[in-house]
Amino acid sequence: MPWFIVVEQILNGLVLGAIYAIMASGLSLIWGSLKMLNFAHGEFYMLGGYGLYLLLLYTGLPLGVAVPICVAAVYLAGWLVERAFVQPLLDKPGWDVSPLIATLGISIVLQNLALRLLGERIQSLPYFVEGTLALGSVRIAWHRVLILLVSGLVIAAFVSILKTTRLGMALRATAQDRDAATLQGINVRGVYAMTFGLSAALAALAGTMLAPIFSVSPWMGAALLGKAFVVCVLGGLGSLEGAILGGVILGTVESLAVVLWSSEWKDVVSFIVLIGVLWVRPAGLFGTREW
Amino acid sequence: MVKPDRTPQVIWLAGLLVLVVLPAVLPNDYVVTVLILCMLHAVLASSWNFLMGFAGIFSFGHQAFYGLGAYVSALLAMRAGLDPWLGLVVGGLAAAALGAFIAVPTLRLRAAPYIAIATLGFAEIARITASNLVGLTRGELGLVGIPPLTDVGPLRFGAGSRIGSYYAMLGILALTVVTLGWLVRSRVGLALLAIRESQDAADSLGVAVTRYKVLAFAVSSFFAGAVGAFYAHTFLVLTPSTVLSIAIMIELIAMTLVGGAGTLLGPVVGAFALTLSLEQLRVLGDWRLLIYGAALVALILFMPEGVMRRLLPGRRHL
Repeated sequence: MPWFIVVEQILNGLVLGAIYAIMASGLSLIWGSLKMLNFAHGEFYMLGGYGLYLLLLYTGLPLGVAVPICVAAVYLAGWLVERAFVQPLLDKPGWDVSPLIATLGISIVLQNLALRLLGERIQSLPYFVEGTLALGSVRIAWHRVLILLVSGLVIAAFVSILKTTRLGMALRATAQDRDAATLQGINVRGVYAMTFGLSAALAALAGTMLAPIFSVSPWMGAALLGKAFVVCVLGGLGSLEGAILGGVILGTVESLAVVLWSSEWKDVVSFIVLIGVLWVRPAGLFGTREW
Repeated sequence: MVKPDRTPQVIWLAGLLVLVVLPAVLPNDYVVTVLILCMLHAVLASSWNFLMGFAGIFSFGHQAFYGLGAYVSALLAMRAGLDPWLGLVVGGLAAAALGAFIAVPTLRLRAAPYIAIATLGFAEIARITASNLVGLTRGELGLVGIPPLTDVGPLRFGAGSRIGSYYAMLGILALTVVTLGWLVRSRVGLALLAIRESQDAADSLGVAVTRYKVLAFAVSSFFAGAVGAFYAHTFLVLTPSTVLSIAIMIELIAMTLVGGAGTLLGPVVGAFALTLSLEQLRVLGDWRLLIYGAALVALILFMPEGVMRRLLPGRRHL
């Protein structure tokens, strides 16, 4: 096999990995603060994709306006879901599983709502930028380069928000110790809702950027949710570094498995990698022991 | 002396009685088939609940055991002429072996999401393998020509006679509930509860944590595998997406949690309630899944501890 095909696949794997990393950091963020798994995360991704599709279809807004509108709208949706369906369950018996069922129900509702309102036709979107970048014999679509750049920027911005701003400090304090954070005057319930909103916004951004590659359908979130869970666990739940590294590893492994073996077996390869990592490091690559 | 509380036993006996006479009152193939599915889901949910509700091991790969039992029994009956009744046991044992095998790498994992994703990984490997090994399983084309259960006395099985399957399924359900109920109240159950509440405390008090966890996996997988084999010899077609899909797992979680995890009655009640309501919602056509999802959200918002604990509060053994 020519070397440049392998290089191209690694690059494609990195693009996929960047999206996995964005999805997984949202999940990890929620796990870090609320200690719950959000099964509706894939549907926020879907809402991002559909939102962009509908905006482009009906308003013809430029991408630079349409994408931020989608992301902001889904932030609001995530915030609302937390306020209406997750917060009432907080501090009640069965918290270890009840939010899982609640978000599962929301995921079923949103998927079927999309199916009823928008039909089961798989819709496609044009690439944000046309053309391909050629570096010697290695060729990669500009759209994919754009995904890599935007993902890198978003993740860097996200990390710096978490590490330097007052909002980020409040988020981290709440994740570390809820009671202590409350004593410091942090509105913990407000922080939880904001965490959910941010996480949903990240998923929506991933949805808008991947829509031209994977197309838009009511079920587009379900498949990616599974991958995002794998990435979270691989990297260590609650760890942002873990989500990023896990995403890159999974994306690259999948893409290499396709060229070196076959596309039918690629997921088997990634699950074997996952089980192997957990065998050696039971809390994932960057996980702490308590979790 | 405190009078022992007999309410759960009364509920079990009343339920059994209703299920025994129902086909005589309502001799309708559709009703009987739906009830078979209810009982099948009840066994699956109960066996998953044994692992999750009693031992606290949040497995997300129960469909692997169900599917493995189904494929092993079906293939052995087709290729080696194994009697399907024996196949139920062999399918169960194959699943139990896989369960014990999967238990080992997941033993070191503590938090629920890690265990969930690792077990899901094994289940997905099983599903992908079953759909790719087209020579053996015919993949998504479906394995057909599976022999039905052989007739026993007056009970007829196979195409066009659902009554035999109905009573066989009822027997399997009763056997499952009695076995799991006995295990839960025995030393094993106490050990598992101790591990669920605090693994470190149980370990320090001399509970053989590893052995009990592997045992819990094996028992739970055995029932899933056996009922998977029953599915294969009753509905006579197998595809990876019907017996190995994550959708099964998600339904089981919903059934168990709606009924009440960590109780014996909960998963059975949840399985009947959700299976029947999904059937009833068919009149709503395409809207039924939407309503189903909304109902799940409402149920968990208003009864986060499960229906059975809400209906019968304050009882330890349900």
